[in-house]
Amino acid sequence: MVLAAAPRRRRRHRLEIGRYIFLGIYLLFVLAPLYWMLITSIKPSNDYLAVPPVWFPDKPTLVHYVVALFSYRGLRGLINSLIISLAATVLSAFIGSLMAYSLARFNTGGKHLSFWVLSQRFLPPVAIVLPIFLIYRNAGLHDTHIGLIIAYTVFTLPVSVWMMYAYFRQLPRSMEDAALVDGCTRWQAFWRVAMPLSAPAMVATAVFAFIACWTEFFFALVLTSRDAFTLPTVFRAFIGFQGALYGEASALAVVSLAPSIVLGILVQRHLVRGLTLGAVRG
Amino acid sequence: MTETATIRKLPATGAVRLSALSDWSDRHFKWLLVAPAVILILALSIYPLIFSLVVSFINYDFQVPGHAFVGLKNFRMVLADPVARWSIALTTMFAIANVILEFLLGLALALIMVKHFRGRGLIMSILIIPLFISPVIVGQAWALLLQRPFGPTNYILSQLLGTDVKISWLTESPWLYFAIIAADVWQWTPFMFVILLAGLTAIPANLYEAAELDGVGGWRAFWAITVPHLAPMMLLAITLRLLDTIKLFDTIFIMTGGGPGTKTYTASYYLYTVGFTQFHISQATAGSWIFLLLTLLVVTFLVRRLLHVEEK
Repeated sequence: MVLAAAPRRRRRHRLEIGRYIFLGIYLLFVLAPLYWMLITSIKPSNDYLAVPPVWFPDKPTLVHYVVALFSYRGLRGLINSLIISLAATVLSAFIGSLMAYSLARFNTGGKHLSFWVLSQRFLPPVAIVLPIFLIYRNAGLHDTHIGLIIAYTVFTLPVSVWMMYAYFRQLPRSMEDAALVDGCTRWQAFWRVAMPLSAPAMVATAVFAFIACWTEFFFALVLTSRDAFTLPTVFRAFIGFQGALYGEASALAVVSLAPSIVLGILVQRHLVRGLTLGAVRG
Repeated sequence: MTETATIRKLPATGAVRLSALSDWSDRHFKWLLVAPAVILILALSIYPLIFSLVVSFINYDFQVPGHAFVGLKNFRMVLADPVARWSIALTTMFAIANVILEFLLGLALALIMVKHFRGRGLIMSILIIPLFISPVIVGQAWALLLQRPFGPTNYILSQLLGTDVKISWLTESPWLYFAIIAADVWQWTPFMFVILLAGLTAIPANLYEAAELDGVGGWRAFWAITVPHLAPMMLLAITLRLLDTIKLFDTIFIMTGGGPGTKTYTASYYLYTVGFTQFHISQATAGSWIFLLLTLLVVTFLVRRLLHVEEK
């Protein structure tokens, strides 16, 4: 036994080193595109085609940010994205919580209703975006903030409902029962007791909904054009890089990804729950 | 529930009509709560689906007035289109490649990150960053990295390999498929990783200790303990990922625009171009119903599997 233990330990040691090498390479893989993008956003245009590539510019510049935000309507997209994402997030988290509470406390509609909502999560957007486009055109909702807000509310609802559903199921009902005995209506028991208790879960849910709206591209591409366009759709202007707009594209990307990364890392404790629609507890 | 309702009625003496209203809303409380969500989903998901089914059987054209019923013509046109068939094949190919790579990388990362070591928190935060970035930006970032002559990829490869590498990563087959897969793997490996890590953390440590005492370690412990305990999580992660990856659109749109020609048309991209650049609305809705039914097949198969495992 003792003799056999030595080579095994050595093997384990080698395995350990292998792990860290793998992790190191993977981290490089994650960071490389981000670093290159960040550098490109502050690189003067005449450094673009240098060989060897310029890993860090001598004279960093913010000119690409100015051009992307003001000449390519990035700022307008940013503001639209903020308005639309915030409104849809609040609606989705609120309406989702209402439904989740009902499902968790009263088992409303049995399994069918909850799974029906869940199934919406897996609907390919391309299957509904065309009819929605036609409906919106007829209803005057095409290229309006309100139109995209409604669309985003609906498409984030399955996640909101299921995250809150998972939460309410594990929230003890004794407090609400006590409130009911004290003469509260069901609504008051929900609004004044259950909701304040679930505030942290609701914030996490809202953040995931916000990130989903903030990063969404397909619906925005089809349902908006010149007025209600969101930040991700502005990137269409840089496709193919006519006139080599590398810096502008990168600058806009940095502006767009910063808020969602910060928010995402803040709620990373709830990440498993968010990714699995509440199926797995983190 | 009824007892609490009667107790609650006692203090209501004055406003009779108001209490009648609140009584009604109390009785239908659970349905009132689900109503907004259900109405929204009906209006913006079920109604559009029905509408698109109707459109797929008629000739819906902005130029041509009146919508003539054409039966299955639209469906036949999609099925006869070689680009449509190619797009389904490509979507399947991408889905398989992406899911396998993301699963293996995610599992490897989870096995490393399940241990505690210095700097683990920071590395964890870095690893999950791609999940919070718009796929459009991910496509953009990879395009910047690979684009010839701007991106540094060819330069680095030339240095490493010692020969002059001149690959047009975004226009040259087969490299552009690798580029698209790289972007997807970059973004979604953390998805697998996070779920698998949660699964690994939940395996009781004493199982490994017991195995160690029996002289079972390393690979044998991995196959005997880790794999069976992690199986439900593996299936969950793969199912969720598979259902998302067949929708692949954003990175294609930014990186290749479906091109060159129709070489990188995925199902979503094909339907988008038919509907929104060629304006064959009816054909696009027929195609999206075919795609929807194919998706449904995958969903039923996988979700059935998933529920089966969960019951065990």
